[in-house]
Amino acid sequence: MVNINWALIAPILIIQVILLLVAIVDLVKVKETNGPKWLWALIIVLISIIGPVLYFIFGRRSR
Amino acid sequence: MTLLTVEKLTKKYGSKTVVDHISFDFGHHKCIALIGPNGAGKTTTLRSLAGLLKPTEGTIQIEAQGKNQDIRKYIGYLPQYPAFHTWMTGREFLVYSGKLAKLTKGEATKRATKLLKEVGISEEAQDERISRYSGGMKQRLGIAQAIIHKPKLLILDEPVASLDPIGRREILVLMEKLKQEMTILFSTHILNDAEEVSDELLLLNHGKLIESGSLIDLRKKYQTTVIELQVEDEIQLYQEKVVAIDGVSNAKVERDTLLITATDMKKAREGILTLATKEKWQITTFSINKASLEDMFMRVVNE
Amino acid sequence: MQWMTLFQKELLENWRNKKWVWVPLVIILLSVMDPLTTYYLPQIIDSVGGMPEGAVFEIPELAPTEVILMSLSQLSSLGILVIVLILMGTIAGERKSGVSELVLVKPVSYMNYITAKWVSYLLLVWVSLFLGLLVSWYYINILFGTLTFGEFLTVFFFYGMWLTLVVSLTIFYNTVFKSGGLVAFFTILTIMLMSIITQIFQHILDWSPNNLSSYILESLTSGEISSDLLATAAVTLGLSLILLLLASQIFKRKEMAV
Repeated sequence: MVNINWALIAPILIIQVILLLVAIVDLVKVKETNGPKWLWALIIVLISIIGPVLYFIFGRRSR
Repeated sequence: MTLLTVEKLTKKYGSKTVVDHISFDFGHHKCIALIGPNGAGKTTTLRSLAGLLKPTEGTIQIEAQGKNQDIRKYIGYLPQYPAFHTWMTGREFLVYSGKLAKLTKGEATKRATKLLKEVGISEEAQDERISRYSGGMKQRLGIAQAIIHKPKLLILDEPVASLDPIGRREILVLMEKLKQEMTILFSTHILNDAEEVSDELLLLNHGKLIESGSLIDLRKKYQTTVIELQVEDEIQLYQEKVVAIDGVSNAKVERDTLLITATDMKKAREGILTLATKEKWQITTFSINKASLEDMFMRVVNE
Repeated sequence: MQWMTLFQKELLENWRNKKWVWVPLVIILLSVMDPLTTYYLPQIIDSVGGMPEGAVFEIPELAPTEVILMSLSQLSSLGILVIVLILMGTIAGERKSGVSELVLVKPVSYMNYITAKWVSYLLLVWVSLFLGLLVSWYYINILFGTLTFGEFLTVFFFYGMWLTLVVSLTIFYNTVFKSGGLVAFFTILTIMLMSIITQIFQHILDWSPNNLSSYILESLTSGEISSDLLATAAVTLGLSLILLLLASQIFKRKEMAV
């Protein structure tokens, strides 16, 4: 078995989850996105770290 | 007392002259309509006055308290398609605008509350994000942000063009009210809007100022009276007779109607009617029409 | 007073669009990614099928200072990309949409407008960098050995200078172009050109901002902050201020939002 200290990794995983949740909550609340919402939902959930970042930079309607 | 003096204002983009040596001035508490067809240079003129464009030539002077003062303090401006920070609420945006115009936080908040009511943004909408506002509400908010700092000159670019008839009505009424407190300069391509609220007109075409003056003077100047005459038989037969009448300057046939213009309307009318009675013309229509400013506008624009 | 109004608006905007949440989180993840994957590299290789028969894979013993430099190199690529992308529309976007018309028709000083944005984004970037390096520092101390708090601060402060330059450069291009895409493209291009030029003219460009990372490593190994590091930091800060000044000049001269 791979010997990994999970207590050590846990905070990093938690940060990833927070990032994902913030992006999803924002996606649900926001009125319109650039491109279809469901696509952004998939991107956010499926691509870890980069997905939410892409959404925040390109998905949100700037103003 | 003059508020704004514009001399030989010119704006060129490369070899293209958009605004061509226009000069005018006007005083306090007036409403001036800048009128002209699309592409006449109205927006460029207004943006130059608002300080968003640098004129290629010419001067703009606004009567201000002292020299070297930022004239933007005395100007309020609303572009034709205003854009806002839509993540702010209407109230937040107004307070922000007020503070940028050097009001204190207290003053800005007070003004914002007053103006939100005055321009007619509903209670619930006041604290909603601007992203949820309709076009009409944005236009109201736009006017409110332009007057938050009580400017002496309010510049509105096509303020009613994008509104429905009711919205249009309301904004014109609001402008009528604002005139008590400041001078309004607004652009429009619809003469009716200009006639409704403005005291003075500036007519712009191809970047040149073609005509300016008070509405009353212009009406008088361009008012020509036309007598329309229709008879049962061939109208051409009457043309020569009518032209010969004293006081008539011209008569031309347009389909079944004779359009008569006169140098002396009273004499012409009497002369025509006398002759008609004597010769027993079978008149079907005899009417006197006043050509409106609209005709003049159309004529100038269509040249 | 007016400056504070503009500054508060930037803070509120970046709070409402969640930048104050996601940027620090992403910078933290970028900072710890390399130290963690390096540490667990043997296990990772095992889990994907192990080494081929007969191959020997020696993991070199890494010094803590080398590991924190790994964090920096990650920040220098993806981190900078993120910073440039969040900044690419800050002025250009406002000009394009037309909001800047409503703002700049008020008696707003161009310098205030630009510096308020500059400071607000520097704050965001520096706070994110601090958190990122702090977490990285914590892991390095557990996994690789001691790195003193002083050393951590040295890395944070001097690397922060480099990011300051990146922020200034992006703001500068924001006043040149109206399209966010062009702003990002030219900022990245400039950074790449700077790095190439620094490499070619190594012998003259001692204090090029691109050398910051290597001077930081040098200072960590030698244990004292070299004059080269200080001079380079000063050059970096100076360049940033010049860019800011240029930006406000261009902005003043350029007709707004045309």
